[in-house]
Amino acid sequence: MTNPPVILTRDLTKSYGAATAVRALNLSVQKNRITAFLGQNGAGKSTTIKMLLGMVRPTCGDADVLGKRISNAKENCELRRRVAHVAENEPLYSYMTVEQTIAFASSFYPDWQPDHAGKLLSQYRLLPRQKVKTLSKGMRTKLALLLAFARRPDLLILDEPSEGLDPVGIEDLLQTLVAKAADGASIFFSSHQIAEVERIADQVCILHHGCLLMNASLDQLRQSYRRINLSFASAPAQQDLRITGVEKIRTEGRRISIFASQNADAVIARARDLNAVSVDVAPVALREIFLETVREN
Amino acid sequence: MLWYKSWLETRSRFFTCLAVLVVFSALFIHHAQGFLHPEWKTEFNRLLFIAHEYVVVLWILSVVLLGMGGLRRENAAGTSSLTLSLPVGRAHLLAVRFAVGVLEAITLGVVPWMTIFVVADLGGMPVQFPQIVFYASLLVGGGLAYFALAILVSSLVEGEYTAPAVAFGPLFLATIIFDTWLRRFDLWRLVTASFFVDRTTYLLSGPFPWLAILASLCVAALMLLASVRIVQSRDF
Repeated sequence: MTNPPVILTRDLTKSYGAATAVRALNLSVQKNRITAFLGQNGAGKSTTIKMLLGMVRPTCGDADVLGKRISNAKENCELRRRVAHVAENEPLYSYMTVEQTIAFASSFYPDWQPDHAGKLLSQYRLLPRQKVKTLSKGMRTKLALLLAFARRPDLLILDEPSEGLDPVGIEDLLQTLVAKAADGASIFFSSHQIAEVERIADQVCILHHGCLLMNASLDQLRQSYRRINLSFASAPAQQDLRITGVEKIRTEGRRISIFASQNADAVIARARDLNAVSVDVAPVALREIFLETVREN
Repeated sequence: MLWYKSWLETRSRFFTCLAVLVVFSALFIHHAQGFLHPEWKTEFNRLLFIAHEYVVVLWILSVVLLGMGGLRRENAAGTSSLTLSLPVGRAHLLAVRFAVGVLEAITLGVVPWMTIFVVADLGGMPVQFPQIVFYASLLVGGGLAYFALAILVSSLVEGEYTAPAVAFGPLFLATIIFDTWLRRFDLWRLVTASFFVDRTTYLLSGPFPWLAILASLCVAALMLLASVRIVQSRDF
């Protein structure tokens, strides 16, 4: 029996007047996996996360998080007890000190681990009596991460969590996320740092103009996406190479570059039928998949 | 811990307002040293009545300042995501903020009058404790509607300083309208004790207006309920 998804959205939509931030989103995030949520600025990632946590009311559609309906205020409150959230720009109360912030946050969660919080406090070199308003951006990020990582939540929702961190901080963050996932937590995080995503994510979702363009496992993407560079004595028409799986074709003189999401073997066979002089097949990095997918749409 | 957060959020404003009210009350009554003669007792009572009007003005300014904040302001400051990700309902958040504000408002109403009593008593002035209690009770009991109005406005208006500025608009307008056409229901006259002062002795007389205070508290409760509905329906 498969585990129910930790996040399941059904035609989730959010409009602000004439502008639609999220459009009929049908997203499924599996349990015990690290799911990356990619998209350009304004793609609707933060709005989606805010809808999941009850901060923004969907215009239509609904969603379940950890089996609780987000549109039901009581259930949403219950789900927030089991979710650790790090919001974009790490909002923290500037009038509190680090220790006041920790004491405040810890009081709401029965899964708070004071020992672990203490370890993270020294690991992140946060001074307990320092005012939050005097912290640098990186230190604020660390404090926001501490509030999430000092718990044992079922689901971690992180909105651009590496923002403001130095390379060491980013490395620590990635390792912590992997460790949390190994401990049984499900992780759903948005990021613009595709290299980080590629290192730790199991699943990748791409959102563009509020629409979900892709929801696939990283392994699946690595296996199916290919860049095929072909040389011809005389370049054939692009339509001769347009078969299922070919996402984009670029012709430069006698060279043709094909970006294929599947069926690479069939594309190669077609190229050979068209008397290709050389065929070069290369795996595609997530960065390229993201850019091509977003530009295509 | 929501109480603690609300307290940390408002304590500097609270202490500033408290200091202003206490210093004003103490200085005002200290200057009444000349009214020590028994034959000037009426003048002293009149002075208390005038002092009360000033205390009311300062108190209203203070509670409107204390009413600043809440989720709209947090949204502008960028911290609403942290507050709303807590496993607490929006009504609960507002209720705690209101409750902390009410406690602060009561303190701001009682302490200046205690100061007046102590300074007057130490100065040998003919101060009567029941009169002090009457004034303070009118201020706090009737005046909470002003605080509820500030909370309501802060649920509607986002800006940090816009909310109190906007709050004074309906406040002045309501005072003018009620004073002109609906004087019997004028909250300002209730809170400043104009309905109860005997113009010959300048003592507050008659029974305590429980019904009027109750009506004022009901208005405050309605404004609080409206604030809850507004906050619950908004996106942050």
